[in-house]
Formats: sequence, structure tokens, C-alpha cells
Amino acid sequence: MRLVGLLLAMMMLLLNACAFSRGTLGDELKTETINSIKKGVTTRAEVLAQLGAPDRVLQLNGRDLFQYYRYDAKVGSLLLIVVNFSRVSVKSDDLFVVINREGTVEEVIASKRTEGLEFRFWPFGD
Amino acid sequence: MTHRPFALMLLLSTAMGILLSGCNVARLTINTPLTPESVAFIAEGRTSLADVVDTLGAPDSITDAEMGSIVTYRFLNAKYSRVNFGWLLKPWSPVDPDFVFSRSGLGTDAFELLCDTNWIVTHYAFVRHRPEPPFTPYPF
Repeated sequence: MRLVGLLLAMMMLLLNACAFSRGTLGDELKTETINSIKKGVTTRAEVLAQLGAPDRVLQLNGRDLFQYYRYDAKVGSLLLIVVNFSRVSVKSDDLFVVINREGTVEEVIASKRTEGLEFRFWPFGD
Repeated sequence: MTHRPFALMLLLSTAMGILLSGCNVARLTINTPLTPESVAFIAEGRTSLADVVDTLGAPDSITDAEMGSIVTYRFLNAKYSRVNFGWLLKPWSPVDPDFVFSRSGLGTDAFELLCDTNWIVTHYAFVRHRPEPPFTPYPF
């Protein structure tokens, strides 16, 4: 009983000074949408119909490169009167679609790094 | 004799209070920082960009080069620490005194790969491999 009381007191003391914040930029890149883009099959018009206008368009040796991205930032803060700890973690989901001169998809490069993004408070270590 | 542990605890708490007075420690991490070990699997002329993406994820940018493309991974590990020694005078001062030491360190870096037109990595390098910035508020 004493241990439970001590744990509760510790939790109240620590969680009393906790702050969680989050910010996102861009639309979510759905895995099924990314998987539906097939090399040599999907056309430029189909890519635009499914994903909308890209965030960036670049020229890559005569081919078009469409870049789509989404950023996710999570902030955890522990405010303990005399000492404050906070940590900001930012990761992005990126999708690159290379479209050849014939207007079909030549390469798809994608990954979702935000899936493993967690709220962290401790600024030390990895 | 029984007062000794209490006195020691009091001394330690006071020392901790003085050391941590008005302390702020913050860290900003953008993407997972890459190390030479984490990219050691890349073999120039053999590894494809698809293999790199499988391990490291998609890059942050791809730009045009004369002999192919430049693929860039960016990451940042910034550290900030601050101590306000003015806190020590708070109980005795009619104003809120500040005497602040603070320091920030940016470990900005980028990892670049040069790929040929078949998306095979031909060269790779870190743009500038900086050491991890320390958490030391002393600015001098």
C-alpha cells in the first residue's frame, strides 16, 4: 500500500510537469497509394490523379522527378521547477516518382520514416 | 552518528540544487543521424539505390548531375543547454536576477550518393562529418 502511494505520488509529481506537442506538414502518404504506382505501367496522369500535384518537380536527365513529402514533429518536455528537459524529434515521409519521356513511371522511391517516431523527453543518449 | 546520513543527504541535495538551478537541456533531432558504420554496406559500383533505400529509407532530395543523379540524406542533431545562476539569489533578491550561461551546438550533416543512370551508386561521402556537440552550457 505504501509502495502504491509512493508510485502515485511520483507519477503525480512527474506527469504534473509534462508537455506534449506535435506538428505536421503536408498530406499523409498512404501505403496503398504508393503500392499502386507500378513501374512501366502507371502514367503521369494517373500519378497526379492519385497523389495530386507534387511538392517539388525536378528535371533528372530529361526525365521528370515528382517529390511528395510529409513532415512530423513530436516534442516532449519535462518541466521540473529547477531543471527542464525537452526533446524535439522530426522525421519525414518521402516519395519520389521518376517519369520517363514517354510519360510512364520509371522508378518509385519511397519510405515512411514517421511510423517509428515517438515522443521523447530525455535529451541524452541516442 | 545517526545525523550523518541526513547531513550528507542535505549536502548532496543542496549541491544538486545549486548545480541544476534554472537548468534547461534541450535537443533537436531531424531524421536518424547516419554514421560511417551505418553506410558501410554500400559498395561503390555494385549497390543499387533500391538497396540503399531498403536500409536507410527514402532520401531527402534527388538532384540532376551530368553523369546521373545526386541523392542526399540530411540529418541534424542539435543540443542546447542553459544554466541560470540568478536562481541562487531569488530567495534574497527583490527582483528576478538573471545570470545565464548557455550554449548551442549544431551537428548538421548530409550524406550524398552519386548514382549512374541505372541507379547504381558510383560514389558516396559525408558532406562534413562533425563530432557530436556536447551538452556544456559554459560558453567560453
